[in-house]
Amino acid sequence: MKCSDVERVLPELLDGAPDGAFPADFETHVKSCPACSNLVSDLKLISSEARQLAATEEPAPRVWLRIAAELRAEGLISDAAIREPESAPTRPILVPTSRRPRWSARWLAPVAAAVVAAGSYVVSHKPAPQVAKQQAPATRVASPIPETPAATSASAPTPAPRQMAQKPAKPTDTIRPAVEPESSEEDQQFLTAVSTRAPSMRTTYENQLKAVNADIRETQAYVDRNPGDTDARQHLMDAYEQKALLYQIALDRIQ
Amino acid sequence: MRDSLGKFVQRKEFEAASERLAAGKGDLTDPKQGITEAEAIEQAKQGREAAFEVLYHLHKRRVYSLCLRMVSNPAQAEDLAQEAFLQLFRKIATFRGESAFSTWLHRMTVNVVLMQLRKKGLPVVSLEETLAANDEAPKKEFGTKDVKLTGSIDRLQLQRAIDRLPPGYRTVFVLHDIEGFEHNEIAQIVGCSIGNSKSQLHKARLKLRDYLTFMRAEKAKTG
Repeated sequence: MKCSDVERVLPELLDGAPDGAFPADFETHVKSCPACSNLVSDLKLISSEARQLAATEEPAPRVWLRIAAELRAEGLISDAAIREPESAPTRPILVPTSRRPRWSARWLAPVAAAVVAAGSYVVSHKPAPQVAKQQAPATRVASPIPETPAATSASAPTPAPRQMAQKPAKPTDTIRPAVEPESSEEDQQFLTAVSTRAPSMRTTYENQLKAVNADIRETQAYVDRNPGDTDARQHLMDAYEQKALLYQIALDRIQ
Repeated sequence: MRDSLGKFVQRKEFEAASERLAAGKGDLTDPKQGITEAEAIEQAKQGREAAFEVLYHLHKRRVYSLCLRMVSNPAQAEDLAQEAFLQLFRKIATFRGESAFSTWLHRMTVNVVLMQLRKKGLPVVSLEETLAANDEAPKKEFGTKDVKLTGSIDRLQLQRAIDRLPPGYRTVFVLHDIEGFEHNEIAQIVGCSIGNSKSQLHKARLKLRDYLTFMRAEKAKTG
């Protein structure tokens, strides 16, 4: 067999030979020909290394957010599933499905970072009380929200996070002025920028911002009452992260 | 910040989705145990968002990686992955379990990508493709090389080399060597003969070898 014969039969043999067993004359030539030997081993190496590339890339978080928004828009997510009573608080869908216009809003990046930093500071600097002063920690077992006047009232606030749902709020508990205000100056700037440059997205982002701010407020109120609850602290940090993500995604979409 | 934040949020999303889904099931008292793919499929058929989310997180890397390899463009790959998952979720009620869910999904993903390539007028399979005019890789005659890609191949270099393949070669190479499709499956998917698929694959590997040899030589020069 010559090099040209190897060229002719190689495409068939490389993937078709059972257990890599090649015809004897092919093997004989490859053993005696460094060029063909290198070629065969290189092609096998490329093939084996390529397999390592499967599932190595991570899509950006916005991909799922877009999918979820589309599923909702198409009605593929049932209403019952959305209103799962024992669910953890549902995160707002942050991304509208429209295509992104390209313009600069670089100020959003430091604002997003500041939101996370502020959240981190708030969460980490709340003093944890003595264990004896704490209420019993909330369990993770799902259970119905206790029937309380506040919970059954038509004017009751949005159901609290799941950790909170285990314990009815005391009548004297009030949601104190949140560390994260109803709508901060940064929020107003953010919404102004969105409405100026992408008016159609204003309502979507405004609703999402309200939802995430409400989540922060409620969780903050709970953490104030139960500063030793690590789950609640983590939830609060998550809420700040979620808000930061809102800014981040806006930056991605409108930059 | 964006990467770490993205990974954090994705981890939390996945945990939250598993937890929400498990919380809705009476037989899973420990949400941390998560749920099986089959359970997620059944609940997705009922329209549970958390089930869709679990399925997405289980398969997102494979689907997105496949899209990215085939189009070599992250933004397009995101759009294609999104479309593949949406098609999957729209049709999930018809999934009867005769084949593996992942096989079904990957076949659907490939079809989405190929449809996109065809829309853009790019060849899914090429009979005669040559190196691009601005290709820097040296073209050598078969059997005359004395170079060898010893040891292992740098993954990043391999990715770059694959990105440089003409679309037709790239399609067959990605489907066969990365995704593990057989030639008869590729022939059926892309609409060519089995022999053509084998030929395309072989040419793709030869080009990759040229590219990688060239890259290695360039790196040695600058290095």
